[in-house]
Amino acid sequence: MQGEVKQTEDKNTEQGRSLVWRLVRSAAMWVVPAMLFTAFSLILFYRTSIYKNFNDPLVNTIQALVANMENDPLGEVGEMSAEGEMGIVLANQPIDARYQLALSGRYWMVGELDKDGKLLPLISSLSLSDFSMKLPLKQAEKIRANKGEIIRTFSIGPDGEPLSLAAQYVIFNERNFVIAAAADRRPAAQAVRQFSIIALGLLTVLALGLTLAIYMQVRSGLRPLFELRDSVVDIRAGRTRSVKGLYPKEIKPLADELNSLIGHNRDVVEYARTHVSNLAHALKTPLAVLMNEAGGKKSDLARIVKSQTVTMNKQVDHHLRRARAATRGQGIGEKTPVNDTVNSLVRTLGRIYRDKDLDFHVDIDNKLQFRGQKRDLEEMVGNLLDNACKWTKAKIHIKIEVDPDSDANIRITIDDDGPGMAADQYDNVLKRGTRLDETTPGTGFGLSIVNDLAIAYKGLLELGKSPLGGLRTILVIPMVRE
Amino acid sequence: MRILIVEDDPDLCRQLSEALGDAGYAIDMATDGEEGHFLGDTEPYDAVVLDLGLPIIDGISILQKWRADGKDFPVLILTARDQWSEKVSGFDAGADDYLTKPFHTEELLARLRALVRRAAGHTTDTIDIGGLMVDNRAGRAFVDGAPVKLTSHEFRLLSYMAMHVGKVISRTELVEHIYDQDFDRDSNTIEVFVGRLRRKIGVKRIETVRGLGYRLVDPVTEEAEK
Repeated sequence: MQGEVKQTEDKNTEQGRSLVWRLVRSAAMWVVPAMLFTAFSLILFYRTSIYKNFNDPLVNTIQALVANMENDPLGEVGEMSAEGEMGIVLANQPIDARYQLALSGRYWMVGELDKDGKLLPLISSLSLSDFSMKLPLKQAEKIRANKGEIIRTFSIGPDGEPLSLAAQYVIFNERNFVIAAAADRRPAAQAVRQFSIIALGLLTVLALGLTLAIYMQVRSGLRPLFELRDSVVDIRAGRTRSVKGLYPKEIKPLADELNSLIGHNRDVVEYARTHVSNLAHALKTPLAVLMNEAGGKKSDLARIVKSQTVTMNKQVDHHLRRARAATRGQGIGEKTPVNDTVNSLVRTLGRIYRDKDLDFHVDIDNKLQFRGQKRDLEEMVGNLLDNACKWTKAKIHIKIEVDPDSDANIRITIDDDGPGMAADQYDNVLKRGTRLDETTPGTGFGLSIVNDLAIAYKGLLELGKSPLGGLRTILVIPMVRE
Repeated sequence: MRILIVEDDPDLCRQLSEALGDAGYAIDMATDGEEGHFLGDTEPYDAVVLDLGLPIIDGISILQKWRADGKDFPVLILTARDQWSEKVSGFDAGADDYLTKPFHTEELLARLRALVRRAAGHTTDTIDIGGLMVDNRAGRAFVDGAPVKLTSHEFRLLSYMAMHVGKVISRTELVEHIYDQDFDRDSNTIEVFVGRLRRKIGVKRIETVRGLGYRLVDPVTEEAEK
């Protein structure tokens, strides 16, 4: 049964780790893709816009060149072709200063496209000088096939720089010319790269910030739940008796229900105890009557009544003990100050054994609280002290402290200076309560009751030799840790 | 010695009164808490046997009321409740002894004797007054070692006087402690008993203090003082 319970618990922890973790994880699952999507959209948009600004001047330059082309009547500029076709001149050259500067990264040319895709300039910007830019063959074909259209492509500049290039195939005076304008691609690519880095960086920070904010929100949103959990732990540990504090309306019913369950548990345990006690009273008085009635008589009937009432009394005791044991350790959130209980027991035993002139020595840590019911503590310590009082000559030492072996427990040590007990009898005395037919009230019966109780509280009872000469009993029981 | 038994079980009550009567006590009985409390409050008992689970008023409450009113007679709690928590609350309420049911009659008698003699300041069951031995345990008396034949009333009278040896005891007090509640209390009978007792144990052992009552004395020390 216990094994089964443990298994389910393990399964549960595996299935649902932490609520906070689950919520943050599901938030991160949409935050991260959303941020990535935003980043790529922005970069794409920026890149398109940069290249548009970059390409427009190339188109303008080509249009200006086309507009300024004229026949060369003198044939000075632009040599005549082998077939005797007319040369061309430009009425005006584009005025951008960069076209005048050698290797400036801005170039134009008017010339011919050979079959290898090379642009052979007839007239070109000063910046280009005599360099022939080379186009990919496919693009060269495309330019030839689409006469009059501006085609965009790439090339390599005179300085080895990557170029963005626009070219148009035109027919002028029945002669084919190619007009091209080009610009260094690197500044634009650089700008796009910088923008990408900044955009990705900022969005990563934003994503982290959002996730952190969600984590904080989840934590503060779930705080009442955590408080409820701590409350339940406190109740289990005996630090408080009910769930206290104000809870939001979503979990208030849970807290209330928990309190009423705890209350109900307490009532049931109390009821069971009262019931058992009443049953004891109801049965024991008639038993006393029967025993007394048969006590002084010698007849067969009296003999049978006597032996049967003894058996009945044992049965009643046995079942009472079992019923009491069944309700033990079930009280939730019980705590009992140890010193009050021990002091009242010492007072009581002093009266019971007043003819013996006992010398009690009590050494007690006043702050200790037993995690359990008062009457169970009284039953354990009462029986141990009663046993000590019964056998001692005079001295009884009681020491109550935090258990040196575990700070979750209280250790109660009781010594007497009586005759003590042989070591091989210890187990016998403690076990005696386990089998009904071996129990005889008055002969160490009390110690087995204490042993049963200590075990019910997951504590223990040990017997040993006292430095005073008699029996030493050591009782270890759970403590309330504040 | 006069004892009050407060016990709601009529059979047990009868058995107790028989056993205690045989042992030489005068017995009053109450079967509910209210009557028990009233009797204890109004009559001078030498000891009380008190059950805890009683109709109307429970035993612990009765005991607390008696103690609060200054009643100091010894009380023995006789109950089926055998838990230490119950013992502690019994003693804290003012009980002097605690016996759980079922019990042996001899045990109850021994504890009652101990309570009564302790209340009167004696440490043993046997009281020796200059050759007069009163054995409360056996219910017998001896003069210089020879047994004296006494009726139960005569022994009760002697026993009470022996418990309070040297003190002057009024006739009313003797009547109250020797007879139970239902007895016809005619103080003349006391004079008759005292007369018979004097004849059996020696005239000088019981002094008459005129107008006050009687006193049990040791005639030798009495002589010496004079």
